[in-house]
Amino acid sequence: MYFEDVELGVTTQLGSYTFTEPEMIRFSRAYDPQPFHVDPGSAKASFYGGIIASGWHVASVWMKLVIANQQKRAASGEARKGGGVSPGFLNLRWIKPTRPGMTLTYDTTTHEKIELKSRADLGLVRTLNLAVDADGETVMSFTGQGFWPRRPRD
Amino acid sequence: MIDVYFEDLPEGHVIELGEKLVTRDEIVAFATEFDPQPHHLDDEAANASILKGLSASGWHTCAMMMRMIVDGLAHRAAAMGSPGMDEVRWMKPVRPGDVLKMTGIVKFARISKSKPDMGIIDIEWSLFNSHEQVAMMRGIGLYGVRNPQAA
Repeated sequence: MYFEDVELGVTTQLGSYTFTEPEMIRFSRAYDPQPFHVDPGSAKASFYGGIIASGWHVASVWMKLVIANQQKRAASGEARKGGGVSPGFLNLRWIKPTRPGMTLTYDTTTHEKIELKSRADLGLVRTLNLAVDADGETVMSFTGQGFWPRRPRD
Repeated sequence: MIDVYFEDLPEGHVIELGEKLVTRDEIVAFATEFDPQPHHLDDEAANASILKGLSASGWHTCAMMMRMIVDGLAHRAAAMGSPGMDEVRWMKPVRPGDVLKMTGIVKFARISKSKPDMGIIDIEWSLFNSHEQVAMMRGIGLYGVRNPQAA
């Protein structure tokens, strides 16, 4: 599948993930050891009123679900989608805190295709990505970017 | 001890953070859990990929940048989290053995209109290995105001 084959406005459901307190604390001890992420006592007294997941944990789970999805498609014989290399992302928003026991459901929607003047062999695809809680409220959103190979010209 | 507040991070202020040694074990452990693509897990597959060698997941790079921010700034600041990041650029691969340093520059700083005891600080962070810039992250941090009456 090439850049030329990517259709815009197509949403892929990535699946759900439940955040447990021990796991949230384990991630944050390694990468984001602020009191409201690692210490239930001071988290309770903080601005957030209790332990919340690091935003980077919530975002990293998006990546985990994307890869799980690709592996599932590959196992069922479907062609791999996406190039796997990204120049970065835009407009990451942590809209609501993720608290222990919350289950977030993630999806990704193709949004924009950009031809690259500097690289005739690659195109850039932008996606809108959401993590939504059990009430249907958006917890996190961002614009992802991925390079796709262009269809070779004969 | 908390001794860094909104007032200490004015527009144009420069913050130097580091150093952080990136280990192969850490790259593989993060990727195994969150980004199990061959070029983050396996030398042979990584050497054959367009990144030409084992490299950290971009999300791992973000997480390492966050850890550097906590160790060098947030742990002694009245830090209240973040509503988001406008832009992150993964510019060059982050490799095992890299020693990372980071520089932040305050792009703007203002008091929240709805919460006058909270400041909104937009910082552009640049991440370097020993010879070049490898990533950029720009976004908002929320910091408590030391003296809300005076601000």
